[in-house]
Parts: sequence; C-alpha cells; structure tokens
Amino acid sequence: MKTNREMVCIVCPNGCRLNVFVDEQNRVTRVENALCRNGKTYAEDEVQCPKRSLTSTVKVKDGTHPLVSVRSSKPIPKEKLQEAVDTLRLLELTAPVDFHQVIVSDIMGTGADIVTTRQIAKAR
Amino acid sequence: MTANTDNIFDIVIVGAGAVGCAVARELSGFDLKIAVLEKESDVAAGTSGRNSAVVHAGFNNKPGSLMAKLCVEGNEGFEKVCSQLHVPYKKTGKLIVAFDESDFAGIDQLMENGRKNGVKGLEFVDAHTVKKLEPHVGGIGAMLSPNTAITSPFIYTVALAENAAQNGVEFYFETEVNGVSKRDGLFRLTAGKKHFFSRYIINSAGLYSDRIAALAGDKGYEIYPCRGEYFILDKRTSQYLSMPVYPVPRPGLGGLGVHLTPTVEGNILIGPSAEYIKSKSDYSATKGVMDQLFKEAKELLPALEMKHIIRSYTGIRSKLVGPKTGGYGDFIIEESGVVPGLVNLIGIESPGLTASVPIGRMVRDIIAGKEELVPKKDFIAERKGITPFRELTLEQKEKLIKECPEYGEIVCRCEGITKKEILDAINNPLGVTTLAGIKYRARPMMGRCQGGYCLTRIVDILKEQKGIEPEQVTLRGNNSKLFTGRVK
Amino acid sequence: MLINKDLIIVGAGPAGLAAAVEARKRGIDDILVLEREPVAGGILNQCIHDGFGLIKFNEALTGPEYARKYMDEADEMGIELITNVMVQELSSDKAVTTVSPDGIRSYQAKAVILAMGCRERTRGAICIPGTRPAGVFTAGVAQNLVNIRNVMIGKNIIILGSGDIGLIMARRLTLEGANVLAVVEKLPYSSGLQRNITQCLDDFGIPLLLSHTVTNIEGRERVTAVTISRVDEKGNTIRGTSKKYDCDTLILSVGLIPENELSLNAGIEIDHVTGGPRVDEKLQTSVPGIFACGNVLQVHDLVDYVSAEGELAAGSAAEYIGSSTADGCGSVDVGVGVNAEDKGPNGENPLSYEKISVRAGRGIRYVLPQTIRPGKAVTFSMRVVKPDREKTVCFKAGDRIIKKRKYTALNPAEMIRMDLSQNELKDVSELEVCIYED
Repeated sequence: MKTNREMVCIVCPNGCRLNVFVDEQNRVTRVENALCRNGKTYAEDEVQCPKRSLTSTVKVKDGTHPLVSVRSSKPIPKEKLQEAVDTLRLLELTAPVDFHQVIVSDIMGTGADIVTTRQIAKAR
Repeated sequence: MTANTDNIFDIVIVGAGAVGCAVARELSGFDLKIAVLEKESDVAAGTSGRNSAVVHAGFNNKPGSLMAKLCVEGNEGFEKVCSQLHVPYKKTGKLIVAFDESDFAGIDQLMENGRKNGVKGLEFVDAHTVKKLEPHVGGIGAMLSPNTAITSPFIYTVALAENAAQNGVEFYFETEVNGVSKRDGLFRLTAGKKHFFSRYIINSAGLYSDRIAALAGDKGYEIYPCRGEYFILDKRTSQYLSMPVYPVPRPGLGGLGVHLTPTVEGNILIGPSAEYIKSKSDYSATKGVMDQLFKEAKELLPALEMKHIIRSYTGIRSKLVGPKTGGYGDFIIEESGVVPGLVNLIGIESPGLTASVPIGRMVRDIIAGKEELVPKKDFIAERKGITPFRELTLEQKEKLIKECPEYGEIVCRCEGITKKEILDAINNPLGVTTLAGIKYRARPMMGRCQGGYCLTRIVDILKEQKGIEPEQVTLRGNNSKLFTGRVK
Repeated sequence: MLINKDLIIVGAGPAGLAAAVEARKRGIDDILVLEREPVAGGILNQCIHDGFGLIKFNEALTGPEYARKYMDEADEMGIELITNVMVQELSSDKAVTTVSPDGIRSYQAKAVILAMGCRERTRGAICIPGTRPAGVFTAGVAQNLVNIRNVMIGKNIIILGSGDIGLIMARRLTLEGANVLAVVEKLPYSSGLQRNITQCLDDFGIPLLLSHTVTNIEGRERVTAVTISRVDEKGNTIRGTSKKYDCDTLILSVGLIPENELSLNAGIEIDHVTGGPRVDEKLQTSVPGIFACGNVLQVHDLVDYVSAEGELAAGSAAEYIGSSTADGCGSVDVGVGVNAEDKGPNGENPLSYEKISVRAGRGIRYVLPQTIRPGKAVTFSMRVVKPDREKTVCFKAGDRIIKKRKYTALNPAEMIRMDLSQNELKDVSELEVCIYED
C-alpha cells in the first residue's frame, strides 16, 4: 500500500519536517521539504531500518574521572541502542584512556565500533 | 540497656535549637555532664534556622511579660555573645513604617510598650527621615528602633553548640526521644535503641515541647504550629535596603506582618506570612501565600521584581495560643509542677532567638536553686568560626593562600566560598556532614545559582576528605539521600 | 606585581577557545586564557551526545570531540591557558584580578573577551510551591553528575521544561535505566529543538506534556511526588486539572541565564532581554576594549554559532589591540583604545558620533547586536517571540525594507541569523527587524 509519512529529520539542527512517500515494497519514492540531500537518506533509513548514533559512558579505573564518554563510529539500528548501552555497562577500562580509542569493535554485529570521545589521564 | 557512666548525665537537653544550645553553653560553664538530644541531623533544624534573623529590641512584647524582659536583656547582650563566638552581627536599627494616619495609633502603642519594657532609643521619624534612611521605602512616617540588629541564626546556634561542645557537652543527632520514665530520681530517655539517663531534663523541643513534656508526665500543654513563608532575594538587591522594615502590626494575627529584612550576608528576606496549620512538619510553600508575600513586599519596596527571588523557605512558629485567641502567649520557662527535674521551655517563639542567652541563664538559676553549681575552672568562653575569605582584603587573601593553598580554590562562585571554608565546614566540631550542614556553615549553594556550580564539587570534597561515597550523601540526614546510586 | 597581557579571555569553553585561536591567527601573540575548571572545554565536556559541529565542520561531533578540536589547535599554537583559576574582578580599565591556589594575580590587558557562559535557572527563581526535599536538580547539574561523576540521580523522574538539556537528559537517563515519566512544558510549544523531541522523547515513548507545569513538590526527606497541572494561555493553573505523579526526582530545564556578574562589576551595560551585555557589531560591550561572545552574550542553540561569535569577538579585539598599540598607547595607562576603523563616517572620534540602534520589532524577542555603526556588513542574530510557519523576517529602515527572508518554520528555540551587507546597510540611520505581514 502506498503511504505518506511525516517525520522530522534529525540529521542536523534544521529539523526539516519531511513528507515521505513510500510504495508497496516499503521503498521511499519521494521526499518533500528536505533542505538538503541528507533528508532523503535519512527518510530511507527511517523507513527501512531506523538508525541512531549511540553515545554513553564507560567506567574507568584509576582515572582522573570515573567515566569516559564514548560513541558509536556510525549510527546503529535504533532497536539495538538499549542493548548496546547495557553491554557497555559491563565494561571497565583502566586509565590512561586515549582519545578515539576503540573499545568495542563491531558492537553487536552492527559494523559500528565504540570509540572514546575523551582522554582520561591516570589519577595521581 | 542499663545505666553506665557513658549514658548517665546530670542534664539532658532535648532539642538543639538556639534555645537548647544557649542553655547547653550556659550550663557547660559548670561541672556538669550534659547531653543534647536532637531528632534532626543538625542544630537549628527547626524554627531556629527558619526565621527573619532579627535581634529584636523588645517593644513589641507585652509589658511585664517574660518575652519583654528577656528580649530586652537579650538584645543588650547579643553583640557581646556574637563577638565571643565569632558570629555575624550588625546593628542596623529598624523601621516600623506607617502607611496611613490610622497606623500612628499603632506606633504610639509600640512607643509606649517600648518605654514600659525599658527599650532605649525609640523615636518617631517623619516621612522625610524615612526617605533619608531608606530611600526605596515608602511610608508617611515611622518609628525608628536604633538597637534592633540582624544576625545569622544558623551560625549563632552552631556557635553556641560548638562552644558548648568545646566545654564538654555531648551532642546526639538523629536521636528522637520517644519515651521518658523516671526511677530513683533518674530520668530514662529512650530514643529508638538508645537510652540516656539523667537527673534533669531541659525541654527545649520547640514545636514538640508539648510532646516531650507529656512524655515526661507533664500533660496539658499544646503547641499550635503557625507557618510563615519567606522569599530570599538576590544580593544585587542589597542596595535597596539597609535595615529591617516592618509595617505597623495589625492586631489579631500572631506575627509581625510581612516585612523586609536585610541579611548579614547582603540578601533581603521577604516574609513571613502567618498561617495556622495542622502538621508540625509541613514546611511546604504554597502558591497563594507566595503571590501574597510578593504583593505585600512590593508595597513596602516598589523596586522589587520577581526575578530578584532566588529561593523560598518556610518556618513554623511554636505558639501557645491557638488561632481562635490569636496574638502572643508568653514564654513558659519553669520547672514542671508535676515532674520535678523537668524544666520546661515551652512556647518559645519570636523573640526566642534574641532571648536565648537570658533563657539559658534562667535555666541555670532554676537548677542553681536546687543544687549548688560549681563553675568550671577551664571554661572556654570563645569560639572561632570559619574565616570568610570573601570579606578579606587582597593582602590578607594573599597571605592566607600562601599559608593554605585551599583558600585559593573557589568552590562556590556566587558567594566566593573557598575550598578551605568548605573543609572547615565539613570538619566541624559537631561532626555534621550533611549537605545542608555544610551549606549553612560556609554558605556554598546559597547564592543565585543555588548550587548549580558547587554541588558537584562539594560531593567530590566529601569523598576526598571524609570518604563519604556520593550515594551516602544526604541533604539533611536520615533518608534525605541526594542520589540513588551509580550509573555504572 | 602587575602582569601585562595584550588579550585576556575569561573562560575556555567553546567561545573562549575559538576566540583564542582566532586572535592568534590575527597576529595577537600575547594571549592569556583563564579557566576556572581543571580542564578547558567548558560545558561541552559533559555534553557527551552528538550533533555538534554540523555547520562548522560538517560532521556530527560529540561535545568533548568538538571541544578537543579547538583545544588541540590552541595547544599547537602555544596559547597560554591557566586552569583552576577564578577571575575575581574585572575593572572597566581592563585590569583583571584572579584567585587560584598559587595566589592572587593582577593583570592588565589591552583588550578583554568575556566568554564565561551561562548558569541555569533554579527552582527558587521560578517559585515552585511545595517542600524542599532532596531530589530536585537542574538539568545541567544532573548531566554533570551522570556523565562525568558516575552518580545516578534518581529512579522515577519528572522533567520540567523542554529545553534541549532537559530533552537530552530524558534520553540519557532512560538509557541508563531510569524511568522518565514525562517532560512537562509550561508553554504550548517546546523550547527545545525539534530533532531532540524526535530522538530523545518519541524514540523512547516519553510523553511531552505541553501547557502543563509543576504546581507542587511533596516529600520531607526525598521527593515522593510532584503535582502537574494544565495551564491556560496566561500561564495560570487551570483548576481541576491537577494530577499527582509518584516520583523521586524532579529535573528542571527551565532556562539559562548569561553569567554576567563580572561584567556588571566592570560597569558593562546589560540588556535585560538577553541577560548579556549590549554590544555593537564588533561584539564590543559598552566598555571599550571589552568584548563578549558565546552564552555570556546570548544563550545559543548551537555551539557552532558560539564559536563563530568567539571568532568575531577575537577579530575585533585584535583590531582594537592593533590600533591602541599603533597609537603608542598600548600601555597600562591606556584609557580608551581608539581604532582607526572605529572612527565615524567622517573620521570623528568613535565616542562622538551616534551609533545606530537596532530595534526588535513585532514578533522578535531580541536582536543582536543592539547597535551598529553605519556602512559595515553585519551578521545579526535574533529569536522570535512565538512559533510560526511561512513567515518573513524583515529588516526595515523606517518604511524602507532593506532585506527580507521567508522561513517555512520559525521557532523561539532556534536562533535566526541573517547577514546584511555593507551595501544593504548603506545610508541607514535607523534599523528595525520584525515579522513581516504581507
């Protein structure tokens, strides 16, 4: 069945309110109101397999801070977000932790790595 | 549990408010073993820490009453106590402002009361002088009371308690008395699993003084809780007010009317309202009263704006007169007629803070009338408080940082409180480590950002200094935990 | 001892760092950045979510990553940064006094850039009735505790205010196991970005209650419940709409206030709408040689624009320093540095000619800069009063329309930026920006 979905593009702060046309095979045929080409890509993903960037923290032992912030190297399927965060909860790194250090590669088979977004020095 | 040398006292004081701590300090000058039992996690947790912070002159109270006598005495001695105990005190004077002709009769009445009570220096000032004294305040004339002062009730109570502790008094917090019995001339006070034995009980339990008296066997008192709400204004408003400004009191309600009071730290207080409530522990602020407070305060001080408000708080008066009677009762300061050894301090509402030291002396005299009190030879009369870095000159600051680099670390940016002051507050002689305890002792979290900047830092310092994990930190002891655990 | 500096920047967050880097590029060698935290980066360090830098770097960075780009650059340039230091005083003649564990330091700068950021509005400021138990946090404090200090702040949580930090925290806390019962917004529309409503609330099924507010807080020791009520257009509670929610935590995301205590003490004029200094198109405050950028000037929605503002302020400061040095009056006793460029259209002293004031007209809450001098290109930033669709924002000089731009959607949460060229502003003696009605 042909449908017409409205969604807010979350790629950038413009937050375009997209009007998305989908055909019987669940394929995006047309996207209206997108200020840029990313809107179309977003709409396609959102219809077929919604993805989100993952950001969270991981525990650090002996560091100047008890946590290091981390992110996924690319968006992962939305429904895997919670499970991924729960996986990260079980990890513990030991300081020093480097910037953009890969701490989990290919998390849950998504093809995305989990990398640190900050440096944590060893506590004195 | 039986009596042993650790839990037998000569005197147990119930309630660590300003009055209980003043009594403790007074009695600590004699060879007595004294304990103070407090149900909350710190001193001044009830009415003593929740009021207008005014050292009253005594013109408001009924001539011949204990209130009048002790207030005037208290006012005269307050400055000295504050200087001995390192407590902020500022003799600002106070204005009772008339807004229409009908108020003049009220002013005459106050002048007459004041004269009878022995209050010095009261004078009528005209509108011109009011403008000169307080340019932002309206009014057609006023009574000026030159001896009215402001203080910090919390620091004052802490200081009395710390000085009492220096002289051997033991403080027990989170210790709520729920049973009293007497055998062989010795009271046994039960507080949960703890027991205390003592020859005398000083009942300075404030709002709960009726309950403590009844537990000890002296029934028939009733305290009516009467709530007052306040606003605290940003220090930026300090230019608007130099002394407490009150309207002429209207008969009926048991309060002094909504007034404006500068604090020793440079804020302004608006309030209090007066509302009889059912519960003695309902410290809620209410929408209706908040709106009314602001409206009335703006009549006194038209320059006020809502954006000046940084916080609200409430206090509860422990009144002996109910809503039907209204007005004031008098302090009850006497040994119980039915339970010898129980000294009741009941109905100590305003001006209880001002009168606290004279009340302490009265209690001393009551005990001295029953047995000989032997002065302590090594009594320490002075107590040193926390040095407020922000009030020092550049040279003094420089010197302090050199001696102790922790003075160079500003933890609270709004109030300019240093890490050293926080450390001094955490390491207080009473052993209080609640967030509120630190706040009231050193003033972090009391500025316009209300802890937005310093809360996290104080949590760090508690861990670093006392090994208190964040999940153990409480706001006011008991179950007031700040956090629910760890993220990871 | 007095230490002389060409440029002192107060704050090493995104605004201050961008200003430092840009000032160095403009040839200012003698720069000092003062930061009260142990590390640079400011609030970005706790903003671990992504979406920063889309405009500036064309990629979705997290807060710490965005900060690091500037930190690295400043580091490579060898810009002097002192951390753990609090500026205690700033005077109108650009003397700066600092306190740190190393002692009290006095500096004299030729120019100063204010980049202190903002603070959060608190419960007291919005007068929520009820008790005062543990368990009430502002969103930024909650974010710091959760993301930096590994402290969980609650289990069952209500968030008041739909500002971006509140929305971001709703997602963050949910992912970390908390139960966010609702986000409550007093206005009939959200004060956060649309994309954050989608990915922080909708994704997790968290209800957004518009035209509602918290009308009571209960609990003696810890929060036990809050009451939420519907409000009318004027913000007054509607009777009979109250509902009690059992919860242990209330998070407030009810606005940010530029942190201008230092500015006030230096005698800088503050705009009562933005809460920041009044500035001209160079971002110079009412005190010559003191410039402002970032959230201390106006609360931003995007960090990219914060950086841009930092760069603009730095360029202006560099010009100011250049001219004051060229005039041989770059020493301590310099009063007002006078830019050649600062002079009026006919070469008069900058203080003697009228700057053009820019007025926020119908539908516009505020516009920055508040004053401009004639004949310069200017980037204006502004916010609208209420959400709207298909409306035109228009610059007028008297009755003459000098620029207009149509927007499909206008939202108070989103800052609008419009560039006006030197040509467009030629011969303009008054300026107003408004929502244009056809």
